[in-house]
Amino acid sequence: MTLKALIFLCLGGIFFFTPTPTQAGVLEDNHCGSCHRLNAEDTNTNPAGPDLHYAGQKFQPQWLKQFLKKPAVIRPGGLTTDPSFLQGTPDNMSPHPSFSEEDTSKLVASLMNLKSVESNFEPVGTEPLSKGQRAKIKYQFERTFGCISCHQSLNLAGKVRGGVSGPSLVNSGNRLQAEWVNHWLQKPEVFISKSRMPRYKLDALTRDQLTQFLMTLKNENIR
Amino acid sequence: MKTSDKMGSIKIPYNNNFLDLFISLTLFFGLVGCGQNSDEQVAPMMKPPLQQEVTTSRPPKPVPTLAKVTESTRNTYQWYCAQCHGTKGKGDGINAKLLTVPPRNHTKAEYMETRTDEQLFEAIKFGGLSVGRAPCMPAWEHTLSEDTINSLVQYIRELCQCEAL
Ligand code: HEC
Repeated sequence: MTLKALIFLCLGGIFFFTPTPTQAGVLEDNHCGSCHRLNAEDTNTNPAGPDLHYAGQKFQPQWLKQFLKKPAVIRPGGLTTDPSFLQGTPDNMSPHPSFSEEDTSKLVASLMNLKSVESNFEPVGTEPLSKGQRAKIKYQFERTFGCISCHQSLNLAGKVRGGVSGPSLVNSGNRLQAEWVNHWLQKPEVFISKSRMPRYKLDALTRDQLTQFLMTLKNENIR
Repeated sequence: MKTSDKMGSIKIPYNNNFLDLFISLTLFFGLVGCGQNSDEQVAPMMKPPLQQEVTTSRPPKPVPTLAKVTESTRNTYQWYCAQCHGTKGKGDGINAKLLTVPPRNHTKAEYMETRTDEQLFEAIKFGGLSVGRAPCMPAWEHTLSEDTINSLVQYIRELCQCEAL
């Protein structure tokens, strides 16, 4: 066998046996798994970034796309599992990498396939809240439940306000799926083993309306 | 029943007359929020009582068997409470500056000794509103057991190095 033939065979081998990147492969190729949990089997309970093994059940694809192209801070106080979280100077605040248009589309497609938690999410009402219902829920959001103490939201003047220990809810209407929000409010343990958020026992109607209220919070309403 | 009353929630039948009434009531009393730059003003009744308002002639209560402060009590405080009250309980957690009513400084004996253990218990279990304090202090009744809340009360007593007068 000549050297030429050998080289040819080797290259051919590479050509034939290199697996074409599968959907899950895109996430691996970009090392997403080094900071994010991507499947339920991953036992790293303290990753540097948010748990994504249910990303397809949580996020809106349009938002994921925007985020991956131009990342924005969602947790001003850092991840609650970060050891320096309480000092206000979390370790893992390095900026999220950004991706090209082409990579973004592939990444979003694979992220939307990650659906490894129970799927019995209740549907959320689609009838828009009346003015009165909205006023009532806003009151509960701020006073009865004190959500605003830990989550950024928008005041009547369209200004951002609120605490920073929880993720910002200013853009939740663009970022999250309504059914996910509803399920989180009902059974947070499905998504996180131990959250720093107090648990609430909301009746189905309040939960539905609170979810709908959160879905009205959008970046475009900032003034 | 007691529980839902304590939560300070307003029950409104879903009927337009009541909604109108609700809106006018909320406009009348004003919404008190917890975020900085909120539209709402803090109602004066939210201010902590002055020390002289506390009567010293309270009859002595039977001493309850005191809950123990354990490693798990301290961890619970760090996990849930420190985000507002700070890791040392000084009221300087990461949310502190962003709240309309600052988190209570649990190390400040002058104030803490004006509150009974029962009041602290209720504040933790049913939230600030239940004891005439700000709603920024959430209710932990569905998150923490009564035993845990009792031990947190004792931990706060440790932080202030004080007892109820
Ligand atoms: C979201 C922020 C926040 C969290 C989390 C929080 N608190 Fe508070 N807490 C407050 C605020 C704000 C006040 C002050 C209320 C006032 O003075 O009107 C307060 C007041 C208190 C008081 C004093 C009530 C009084 O009689 O003046 C106690 C006791 C207390 N908190 C205990 C706790 C414990 C224990 C935890 C953890 C399980 C906790 N808090 C978690 C915000 C918080």
